[in-house]
Amino acid sequence: MKALEGLIVVLAMCIPFIAIKSQDLTTYVYWCLVSAIYLAYIAVSRW
Amino acid sequence: MLMLIALLLYAIIGTAIAILAKRRVLTDEDYFVAGRKVSGIVSALTYAATTYSAFMMVGLVGLTYFSGVGALGFELFYLVGTLFLLSYYAPKIWKLGKEKAFVTPGDMITSRYGETSAKLMAVLVSIALIPYTSIQFVSISFLLGNSMSFESGIVLSAIIIALWALLGGLRSVAWTDAIFGLFMLTMAIFAVFYSFSMQTTSTDHSRLGELLYVPNSFWTPINFISYTLPWFFFALTNPQVVQRIFIPKDEKSLRRMVIFFGLFGLVYTILVTLLGLQLRLLSEIGEFPRVSNRDLVTPTFLSMIPEWLGVMIGVSIFAAAITTANSIVLTLSSMFTRDLLKSRSVNAGRLFVVAITTAVAIFAIQRPNYIVDLAVMSSTILLCQLPLLLGVFHFKMGGNISASLTLLAGFSTAMVMFYTKATFGLPISIWVLLVSFAVFFLASCLEKRFKT
Repeated sequence: MKALEGLIVVLAMCIPFIAIKSQDLTTYVYWCLVSAIYLAYIAVSRW
Repeated sequence: MLMLIALLLYAIIGTAIAILAKRRVLTDEDYFVAGRKVSGIVSALTYAATTYSAFMMVGLVGLTYFSGVGALGFELFYLVGTLFLLSYYAPKIWKLGKEKAFVTPGDMITSRYGETSAKLMAVLVSIALIPYTSIQFVSISFLLGNSMSFESGIVLSAIIIALWALLGGLRSVAWTDAIFGLFMLTMAIFAVFYSFSMQTTSTDHSRLGELLYVPNSFWTPINFISYTLPWFFFALTNPQVVQRIFIPKDEKSLRRMVIFFGLFGLVYTILVTLLGLQLRLLSEIGEFPRVSNRDLVTPTFLSMIPEWLGVMIGVSIFAAAITTANSIVLTLSSMFTRDLLKSRSVNAGRLFVVAITTAVAIFAIQRPNYIVDLAVMSSTILLCQLPLLLGVFHFKMGGNISASLTLLAGFSTAMVMFYTKATFGLPISIWVLLVSFAVFFLASCLEKRFKT
Protein backbone atom coordinates (compact mmCIF):
# COMPACT_ATOMS: atom_id res chain seq x y z
CA MET A 1 0.00 0.00 0.00
CA LYS A 2 2.78 2.43 0.97
CA ALA A 3 4.78 1.43 -2.12
CA LEU A 4 1.71 2.08 -4.28
CA GLU A 5 1.28 5.49 -2.67
CA GLY A 6 4.94 6.31 -3.35
CA LEU A 7 4.59 5.17 -6.95
CA ILE A 8 1.45 7.28 -7.51
CA VAL A 9 3.15 10.39 -6.12
CA VAL A 10 6.28 9.88 -8.23
CA LEU A 11 4.21 9.27 -11.39
CA ALA A 12 2.06 12.34 -10.68
CA MET A 13 5.22 14.44 -10.33
CA CYS A 14 6.56 13.06 -13.63
CA ILE A 15 3.46 14.00 -15.68
CA PRO A 16 4.85 17.39 -16.85
CA PHE A 17 7.63 15.48 -18.63
CA ILE A 18 5.06 13.61 -20.71
CA ALA A 19 1.84 15.59 -20.90
CA ILE A 20 2.38 19.32 -20.34
CA LYS A 21 4.13 21.44 -22.92
CA SER A 22 2.44 24.83 -22.65
CA GLN A 23 4.29 28.14 -22.64
CA ASP A 24 2.58 29.48 -19.54
CA LEU A 25 2.68 28.64 -15.85
CA THR A 26 0.73 25.36 -16.16
CA THR A 27 3.71 23.16 -15.22
CA TYR A 28 4.57 25.45 -12.33
CA VAL A 29 1.02 25.45 -10.97
CA TYR A 30 0.62 21.70 -11.56
CA TRP A 31 3.71 20.81 -9.50
CA CYS A 32 2.64 23.16 -6.70
CA LEU A 33 -0.84 21.61 -6.65
CA VAL A 34 0.39 18.00 -6.58
CA SER A 35 2.73 18.81 -3.69
CA ALA A 36 0.01 20.72 -1.81
CA ILE A 37 -2.52 17.90 -2.28
CA TYR A 38 -0.01 15.33 -1.08
CA LEU A 39 0.82 17.45 1.97
CA ALA A 40 -2.93 17.77 2.72
CA TYR A 41 -3.30 13.99 2.35
CA ILE A 42 -0.42 13.40 4.79
CA ALA A 43 -1.92 15.89 7.24
CA VAL A 44 -5.45 14.50 7.12
CA SER A 45 -5.13 10.79 6.43
CA ARG A 46 -1.98 9.78 8.27
CA TRP A 47 -1.55 9.02 11.97
CA MET B 1 28.55 49.41 7.38
CA LEU B 2 24.81 48.71 7.54
CA MET B 3 25.57 45.02 6.86
CA LEU B 4 28.05 44.87 9.74
CA ILE B 5 25.53 46.44 12.12
CA ALA B 6 22.86 43.99 10.97
CA LEU B 7 25.23 41.04 11.45
CA LEU B 8 26.15 42.25 14.91
CA LEU B 9 22.44 42.50 15.78
CA TYR B 10 21.89 39.04 14.33
CA ALA B 11 24.72 37.60 16.44
CA ILE B 12 23.44 39.31 19.61
CA ILE B 13 19.81 38.23 19.08
CA GLY B 14 20.87 34.67 18.20
CA THR B 15 23.12 34.44 21.27
CA ALA B 16 20.32 35.77 23.48
CA ILE B 17 17.94 33.13 22.06
CA ALA B 18 20.56 30.42 22.58
CA ILE B 19 21.02 31.51 26.22
CA LEU B 20 17.26 31.73 26.86
CA ALA B 21 16.69 28.29 25.34
CA LYS B 22 19.47 26.79 27.41
CA ARG B 23 18.49 24.27 30.07
CA ARG B 24 20.63 22.34 32.47
CA VAL B 25 22.53 19.76 30.44
CA LEU B 26 23.20 16.61 32.45
CA THR B 27 23.43 13.87 29.83
CA ASP B 28 24.44 13.55 26.22
CA GLU B 29 20.75 12.91 25.48
CA ASP B 30 20.01 16.42 26.84
CA TYR B 31 22.85 17.88 24.80
CA PHE B 32 22.34 16.17 21.43
CA VAL B 33 18.56 15.63 21.26
CA ALA B 34 17.34 18.17 23.84
CA GLY B 35 16.14 15.39 26.16
CA ARG B 36 13.48 14.46 23.54
CA LYS B 37 11.29 17.28 24.85
CA VAL B 38 10.93 19.62 21.87
CA SER B 39 7.50 20.84 20.74
CA GLY B 40 6.12 20.08 17.29
CA ILE B 41 6.44 23.61 15.94
CA VAL B 42 10.05 24.12 17.07
CA SER B 43 10.90 20.64 15.74
CA ALA B 44 9.36 21.56 12.38
CA LEU B 45 11.21 24.86 12.17
CA THR B 46 14.57 23.39 13.15
CA TYR B 47 14.00 20.58 10.62
CA ALA B 48 13.24 23.18 7.94
CA ALA B 49 16.11 25.51 8.84
CA THR B 50 18.53 22.57 8.93
CA THR B 51 17.35 21.36 5.53
CA TYR B 52 17.07 24.66 3.69
CA SER B 53 20.52 26.20 3.47
CA ALA B 54 21.88 29.24 1.63
CA PHE B 55 21.41 27.11 -1.49
CA MET B 56 17.74 28.14 -1.62
CA MET B 57 18.09 31.92 -1.88
CA VAL B 58 21.32 31.79 -3.87
CA GLY B 59 21.56 28.45 -5.71
CA LEU B 60 17.91 27.71 -6.40
CA VAL B 61 17.05 31.27 -7.43
CA GLY B 62 19.94 31.10 -9.91
CA LEU B 63 19.01 27.61 -11.09
CA THR B 64 15.41 28.70 -11.74
CA TYR B 65 16.62 31.83 -13.54
CA PHE B 66 18.91 29.71 -15.68
CA SER B 67 16.84 26.55 -16.27
CA GLY B 68 13.18 27.44 -15.59
CA VAL B 69 10.36 25.56 -13.88
CA GLY B 70 12.32 22.27 -13.85
CA ALA B 71 14.14 23.70 -10.83
CA LEU B 72 10.79 23.84 -9.00
CA GLY B 73 10.09 20.23 -10.01
CA PHE B 74 13.51 19.17 -8.71
CA GLU B 75 12.98 20.88 -5.34
CA LEU B 76 9.36 19.71 -4.97
CA PHE B 77 10.38 16.16 -5.83
CA TYR B 78 12.68 16.38 -2.83
CA LEU B 79 9.79 17.70 -0.71
CA VAL B 80 7.24 15.02 -1.62
CA GLY B 81 9.94 12.36 -1.24
CA THR B 82 10.73 13.66 2.22
CA LEU B 83 7.04 13.80 3.18
CA PHE B 84 6.56 10.24 1.95
CA LEU B 85 9.60 8.94 3.83
CA LEU B 86 8.91 10.93 7.00
CA SER B 87 5.22 10.00 7.20
CA TYR B 88 6.17 6.34 6.91
CA TYR B 89 9.51 6.02 8.72
CA ALA B 90 9.56 8.91 11.21
CA PRO B 91 7.05 7.27 13.64
CA LYS B 92 9.07 4.03 13.53
CA ILE B 93 12.41 5.81 14.02
CA TRP B 94 10.98 8.00 16.79
CA LYS B 95 9.58 4.98 18.68
CA LEU B 96 12.81 3.01 18.30
CA GLY B 97 14.78 6.05 19.47
CA LYS B 98 12.62 6.46 22.57
CA GLU B 99 12.58 2.77 23.48
CA LYS B 100 16.29 2.20 22.97
CA ALA B 101 17.54 5.70 23.89
CA PHE B 102 19.05 6.32 20.45
CA VAL B 103 20.77 9.67 20.04
CA THR B 104 22.48 9.29 16.67
CA PRO B 105 21.53 7.44 13.46
CA GLY B 106 24.67 5.41 14.21
CA ASP B 107 22.98 4.08 17.37
CA MET B 108 20.36 2.48 15.11
CA ILE B 109 23.08 0.95 12.96
CA THR B 110 25.02 -0.30 16.02
CA SER B 111 21.88 -1.89 17.43
CA ARG B 112 20.97 -3.60 14.15
CA TYR B 113 24.34 -4.46 12.55
CA GLY B 114 27.15 -3.83 15.06
CA GLU B 115 29.71 -1.25 16.16
CA THR B 116 32.16 -1.47 13.27
CA SER B 117 29.63 -0.46 10.64
CA ALA B 118 28.45 2.47 12.79
CA LYS B 119 32.04 3.66 13.22
CA LEU B 120 32.65 3.39 9.49
CA MET B 121 29.43 5.24 8.82
CA ALA B 122 30.52 8.10 11.11
CA VAL B 123 33.79 8.43 9.17
CA LEU B 124 32.19 8.30 5.70
CA VAL B 125 29.42 10.69 6.67
CA SER B 126 32.04 13.16 7.93
CA ILE B 127 33.97 12.91 4.65
CA ALA B 128 30.74 13.81 2.86
CA LEU B 129 29.44 16.47 5.22
CA ILE B 130 32.53 18.41 6.37
CA PRO B 131 33.21 19.75 2.85
CA TYR B 132 29.46 20.37 2.37
CA THR B 133 29.40 22.40 5.59
CA SER B 134 32.51 24.30 4.59
CA ILE B 135 30.67 25.40 1.45
CA GLN B 136 28.12 27.11 3.71
CA PHE B 137 31.01 29.08 5.25
CA VAL B 138 32.37 29.95 1.81
CA SER B 139 28.92 31.15 0.64
CA ILE B 140 28.63 33.39 3.70
CA SER B 141 32.08 34.86 3.13
CA PHE B 142 31.34 35.62 -0.53
CA LEU B 143 28.08 37.25 0.52
CA LEU B 144 29.95 39.43 3.02
CA GLY B 145 32.62 40.27 0.45
CA ASN B 146 31.92 44.00 0.54
CA SER B 147 31.75 44.18 4.32
CA MET B 148 34.73 42.09 5.48
CA SER B 149 37.57 39.92 4.22
CA PHE B 150 36.97 36.29 3.19
CA GLU B 151 38.91 34.97 6.20
CA SER B 152 37.06 37.25 8.65
CA GLY B 153 33.74 35.95 7.28
CA ILE B 154 34.85 32.36 7.89
CA VAL B 155 36.01 33.15 11.45
CA LEU B 156 32.77 35.01 12.24
CA SER B 157 30.67 32.09 10.99
CA ALA B 158 32.76 29.60 12.96
CA ILE B 159 32.44 31.58 16.20
CA ILE B 160 28.65 31.89 15.88
CA ILE B 161 28.20 28.20 15.00
CA ALA B 162 30.39 26.92 17.82
CA LEU B 163 29.04 29.38 20.39
CA TRP B 164 25.35 28.52 19.87
CA ALA B 165 26.05 24.79 19.80
CA LEU B 166 28.26 24.99 22.91
CA LEU B 167 25.77 27.04 24.92
CA GLY B 168 22.92 24.58 25.14
CA GLY B 169 23.47 21.91 22.51
CA LEU B 170 20.49 21.03 20.38
CA ARG B 171 18.00 23.06 22.44
CA SER B 172 19.87 26.29 21.66
CA VAL B 173 20.43 25.27 18.05
CA ALA B 174 16.75 24.34 17.63
CA TRP B 175 15.48 27.64 19.01
CA THR B 176 17.87 29.77 16.93
CA ASP B 177 16.89 27.61 13.93
CA ALA B 178 13.20 28.21 14.65
CA ILE B 179 13.43 32.00 14.96
CA PHE B 180 15.75 32.45 12.00
CA GLY B 181 13.77 29.94 9.94
CA LEU B 182 10.78 32.27 10.24
CA PHE B 183 13.03 35.21 9.40
CA MET B 184 14.25 33.42 6.22
CA LEU B 185 10.65 32.84 5.14
CA THR B 186 9.64 36.44 5.83
CA MET B 187 12.56 37.88 3.87
CA ALA B 188 11.81 35.56 0.93
CA ILE B 189 8.29 37.05 0.85
CA PHE B 190 9.76 40.58 0.82
CA ALA B 191 12.16 39.60 -1.98
CA VAL B 192 9.36 38.22 -4.16
CA PHE B 193 7.13 41.26 -3.63
CA TYR B 194 9.98 43.61 -4.45
CA SER B 195 10.91 41.69 -7.60
CA PHE B 196 7.31 42.03 -8.83
CA SER B 197 7.31 45.74 -8.03
CA MET B 198 10.40 46.16 -10.24
CA GLN B 199 8.37 45.27 -13.34
CA THR B 200 7.09 48.38 -15.09
CA THR B 201 6.13 46.87 -18.47
CA SER B 202 3.22 44.46 -18.58
CA THR B 203 4.07 41.19 -20.26
CA ASP B 204 3.09 37.53 -20.12
CA HIS B 205 5.26 34.58 -19.20
CA SER B 206 5.32 33.14 -22.74
CA ARG B 207 8.50 35.20 -23.28
CA LEU B 208 10.27 32.61 -21.13
CA GLY B 209 9.77 29.96 -23.84
CA GLU B 210 11.29 26.57 -23.02
CA LEU B 211 11.93 27.65 -19.42
CA LEU B 212 8.22 27.07 -18.75
CA TYR B 213 8.17 23.35 -19.43
CA VAL B 214 10.13 20.11 -19.10
CA PRO B 215 12.00 18.48 -20.67
CA ASN B 216 14.02 21.36 -22.08
CA SER B 217 17.65 21.84 -23.05
CA PHE B 218 18.74 21.78 -19.38
CA TRP B 219 16.20 19.47 -17.72
CA THR B 220 16.63 16.35 -19.81
CA PRO B 221 15.16 13.26 -18.09
CA ILE B 222 18.67 12.00 -17.20
CA ASN B 223 19.73 15.37 -15.79
CA PHE B 224 16.50 15.59 -13.80
CA ILE B 225 17.10 12.14 -12.29
CA SER B 226 20.75 13.06 -11.52
CA TYR B 227 19.63 16.09 -9.56
CA THR B 228 16.57 14.55 -7.94
CA LEU B 229 17.50 11.03 -6.86
CA PRO B 230 20.08 11.84 -4.15
CA TRP B 231 17.74 14.43 -2.63
CA PHE B 232 14.68 12.17 -2.74
CA PHE B 233 16.19 10.03 0.05
CA PHE B 234 17.67 13.01 1.95
CA ALA B 235 15.32 12.42 4.93
CA LEU B 236 16.89 9.01 5.56
CA THR B 237 20.46 9.48 4.43
CA ASN B 238 21.39 12.82 6.02
CA PRO B 239 22.17 12.27 9.71
CA GLN B 240 21.43 15.85 10.76
CA VAL B 241 17.77 15.45 9.75
CA VAL B 242 17.46 11.81 10.91
CA GLN B 243 18.61 12.96 14.35
CA ARG B 244 15.82 15.55 14.41
CA ILE B 245 13.27 12.72 14.29
CA PHE B 246 14.38 11.80 17.83
CA ILE B 247 13.62 15.23 19.34
CA PRO B 248 9.79 15.70 19.39
CA LYS B 249 8.33 15.21 22.86
CA ASP B 250 5.46 12.92 21.77
CA GLU B 251 3.82 11.42 18.69
CA LYS B 252 1.52 14.40 18.28
CA SER B 253 4.55 16.70 18.15
CA LEU B 254 6.20 14.39 15.63
CA ARG B 255 3.11 14.62 13.42
CA ARG B 256 3.16 18.40 13.72
CA MET B 257 6.84 18.44 12.86
CA VAL B 258 6.25 16.61 9.58
CA ILE B 259 3.19 18.63 8.54
CA PHE B 260 4.55 22.06 9.41
CA PHE B 261 7.90 21.25 7.84
CA GLY B 262 6.01 20.28 4.67
CA LEU B 263 4.09 23.55 4.75
CA PHE B 264 7.26 25.59 5.33
CA GLY B 265 9.05 23.72 2.54
CA LEU B 266 6.23 24.18 0.05
CA VAL B 267 5.84 27.92 0.70
CA TYR B 268 9.59 28.57 0.76
CA THR B 269 10.17 26.62 -2.46
CA ILE B 270 7.35 28.45 -4.25
CA LEU B 271 8.70 31.83 -3.12
CA VAL B 272 12.29 31.12 -4.10
CA THR B 273 11.47 29.70 -7.55
CA LEU B 274 8.95 32.48 -8.17
CA LEU B 275 11.76 34.97 -7.50
CA GLY B 276 14.04 33.18 -9.99
CA LEU B 277 11.36 33.13 -12.70
CA GLN B 278 10.39 36.75 -12.10
CA LEU B 279 14.03 37.94 -12.31
CA ARG B 280 14.41 36.02 -15.60
CA LEU B 281 11.25 37.63 -16.95
CA LEU B 282 12.66 41.03 -15.95
CA SER B 283 15.87 40.18 -17.84
CA GLU B 284 13.85 39.24 -20.92
CA ILE B 285 12.11 42.63 -20.95
CA GLY B 286 15.32 44.53 -20.14
CA GLU B 287 14.48 45.57 -16.59
CA PHE B 288 17.12 43.37 -14.91
CA PRO B 289 20.65 42.67 -16.20
CA ARG B 290 21.15 39.38 -18.04
CA VAL B 291 23.29 37.34 -15.64
CA SER B 292 25.39 34.54 -17.17
CA ASN B 293 26.76 33.07 -13.91
CA ARG B 294 23.71 31.67 -12.12
CA ASP B 295 25.28 32.03 -8.65
CA LEU B 296 25.39 35.78 -9.21
CA VAL B 297 21.64 36.23 -9.85
CA THR B 298 20.77 36.84 -6.19
CA PRO B 299 23.80 39.09 -5.46
CA THR B 300 22.88 41.15 -8.57
CA PHE B 301 19.29 41.41 -7.33
CA LEU B 302 20.49 42.47 -3.85
CA SER B 303 22.66 45.19 -5.37
CA MET B 304 19.64 46.69 -7.17
CA ILE B 305 17.17 46.94 -4.28
CA PRO B 306 17.11 49.47 -1.41
CA GLU B 307 20.12 48.96 0.86
CA TRP B 308 18.10 48.17 3.98
CA LEU B 309 16.17 45.44 2.15
CA GLY B 310 19.31 44.02 0.57
CA VAL B 311 20.97 43.87 4.00
CA MET B 312 17.93 42.14 5.57
CA ILE B 313 17.76 39.55 2.78
CA GLY B 314 21.55 39.14 3.00
CA VAL B 315 21.28 38.45 6.74
CA SER B 316 18.50 35.92 6.08
CA ILE B 317 20.84 34.07 3.66
CA PHE B 318 23.59 34.26 6.29
CA ALA B 319 21.11 32.81 8.82
CA ALA B 320 20.14 30.01 6.43
CA ALA B 321 23.79 28.99 6.08
CA ILE B 322 24.44 29.18 9.84
CA THR B 323 21.32 27.17 10.78
CA THR B 324 22.32 24.41 8.38
CA ALA B 325 25.97 24.42 9.39
CA ASN B 326 25.48 24.41 13.17
CA SER B 327 23.02 21.50 12.95
CA ILE B 328 25.50 19.45 10.91
CA VAL B 329 28.35 20.31 13.28
CA LEU B 330 26.30 19.21 16.30
CA THR B 331 25.23 15.97 14.61
CA LEU B 332 28.77 15.13 13.50
CA SER B 333 29.94 15.86 17.03
CA SER B 334 27.38 13.37 18.39
CA MET B 335 28.49 10.75 15.85
CA PHE B 336 32.16 11.21 16.74
CA THR B 337 31.43 11.09 20.47
CA ARG B 338 28.94 8.21 20.59
CA ASP B 339 29.58 6.14 17.48
CA LEU B 340 33.35 6.47 17.13
CA LEU B 341 34.55 6.94 20.71
CA LYS B 342 31.61 5.15 22.38
CA SER B 343 31.63 7.97 24.93
CA ARG B 344 28.60 9.50 26.61
CA SER B 345 30.46 12.53 27.90
CA VAL B 346 28.86 15.91 27.23
CA ASN B 347 32.27 17.56 27.49
CA ALA B 348 33.62 15.25 24.79
CA GLY B 349 30.64 16.34 22.65
CA ARG B 350 31.49 19.99 23.26
CA LEU B 351 35.13 19.36 22.45
CA PHE B 352 34.12 17.80 19.14
CA VAL B 353 31.87 20.78 18.35
CA VAL B 354 34.95 23.01 18.60
CA ALA B 355 37.17 20.56 16.73
CA ILE B 356 34.70 19.99 13.86
CA THR B 357 33.92 23.70 13.53
CA THR B 358 37.66 24.40 13.37
CA ALA B 359 38.16 21.65 10.77
CA VAL B 360 35.31 23.03 8.67
CA ALA B 361 36.71 26.57 8.92
CA ILE B 362 40.20 25.39 7.88
CA PHE B 363 38.70 23.53 4.90
CA ALA B 364 36.77 26.63 3.94
CA ILE B 365 39.72 29.04 4.22
CA GLN B 366 41.89 26.90 1.91
CA ARG B 367 39.20 26.81 -0.81
CA PRO B 368 40.76 23.90 -2.75
CA ASN B 369 38.66 22.57 -5.63
CA TYR B 370 38.13 19.14 -4.12
CA ILE B 371 36.01 20.70 -1.35
CA VAL B 372 33.56 21.89 -3.98
CA ASP B 373 33.65 18.49 -5.70
CA LEU B 374 32.98 16.62 -2.47
CA ALA B 375 30.26 19.03 -1.44
CA VAL B 376 28.48 18.45 -4.74
CA MET B 377 28.91 14.73 -4.21
CA SER B 378 27.80 14.68 -0.57
CA SER B 379 24.19 13.59 -1.11
CA THR B 380 25.28 10.96 -3.61
CA ILE B 381 27.93 9.61 -1.21
CA LEU B 382 25.35 9.46 1.60
CA LEU B 383 23.14 7.17 -0.52
CA CYS B 384 25.44 4.26 0.41
CA GLN B 385 23.71 4.20 3.83
CA LEU B 386 20.26 3.58 2.35
CA PRO B 387 20.32 -0.25 2.30
CA LEU B 388 21.41 -0.26 5.96
CA LEU B 389 18.72 2.17 7.06
CA LEU B 390 15.97 0.37 5.14
CA GLY B 391 17.37 -2.90 6.52
CA VAL B 392 16.61 -1.76 10.06
CA PHE B 393 12.89 -1.95 9.21
CA HIS B 394 12.54 -4.30 6.23
CA PHE B 395 15.36 -6.81 5.93
CA LYS B 396 16.28 -9.52 8.39
CA MET B 397 19.57 -10.30 6.68
CA GLY B 398 22.86 -8.49 7.15
CA GLY B 399 25.41 -8.11 9.90
CA ASN B 400 28.48 -6.09 10.76
CA ILE B 401 30.59 -7.30 7.82
CA SER B 402 27.93 -6.95 5.11
CA ALA B 403 26.93 -3.50 6.42
CA SER B 404 30.55 -2.30 6.40
CA LEU B 405 31.15 -3.72 2.92
CA THR B 406 27.98 -1.99 1.67
CA LEU B 407 29.17 1.37 2.96
CA LEU B 408 32.66 0.93 1.50
CA ALA B 409 31.35 -0.26 -1.88
CA GLY B 410 28.79 2.55 -2.25
CA PHE B 411 31.29 5.19 -1.12
CA SER B 412 34.05 3.90 -3.44
CA THR B 413 31.63 3.77 -6.39
CA ALA B 414 30.66 7.39 -5.84
CA MET B 415 34.25 8.59 -5.54
CA VAL B 416 35.67 6.57 -8.45
CA MET B 417 32.85 7.51 -10.84
CA PHE B 418 32.98 11.14 -9.84
CA TYR B 419 36.69 11.47 -10.48
CA THR B 420 36.95 9.24 -13.57
CA LYS B 421 33.64 10.49 -15.03
CA ALA B 422 33.03 6.91 -16.24
CA THR B 423 29.30 6.74 -15.56
CA PHE B 424 28.20 4.64 -18.57
CA GLY B 425 25.31 6.96 -19.41
CA LEU B 426 23.59 6.72 -16.03
CA PRO B 427 23.62 9.18 -13.12
CA ILE B 428 26.22 8.33 -10.44
CA SER B 429 23.44 8.20 -7.82
CA ILE B 430 21.82 5.25 -9.64
CA TRP B 431 25.15 3.39 -9.70
CA VAL B 432 25.71 4.07 -5.99
CA LEU B 433 22.25 2.70 -5.16
CA LEU B 434 22.66 -0.35 -7.43
CA VAL B 435 26.11 -1.22 -6.08
CA SER B 436 25.15 -0.60 -2.44
CA PHE B 437 22.01 -2.74 -2.58
CA ALA B 438 23.75 -5.50 -4.59
CA VAL B 439 26.68 -5.66 -2.15
CA PHE B 440 24.32 -5.55 0.83
CA PHE B 441 22.23 -8.53 -0.34
CA LEU B 442 25.19 -10.53 -1.65
CA ALA B 443 27.41 -9.94 1.38
CA SER B 444 24.48 -10.62 3.73
CA CYS B 445 23.89 -14.03 2.12
CA LEU B 446 27.60 -14.87 2.35
CA GLU B 447 27.86 -13.62 5.93
CA LYS B 448 24.89 -15.76 6.92
CA ARG B 449 26.37 -18.82 5.18
CA PHE B 450 29.76 -18.44 6.88
CA LYS B 451 28.16 -18.01 10.28
CA THR B 452 26.03 -21.15 10.00
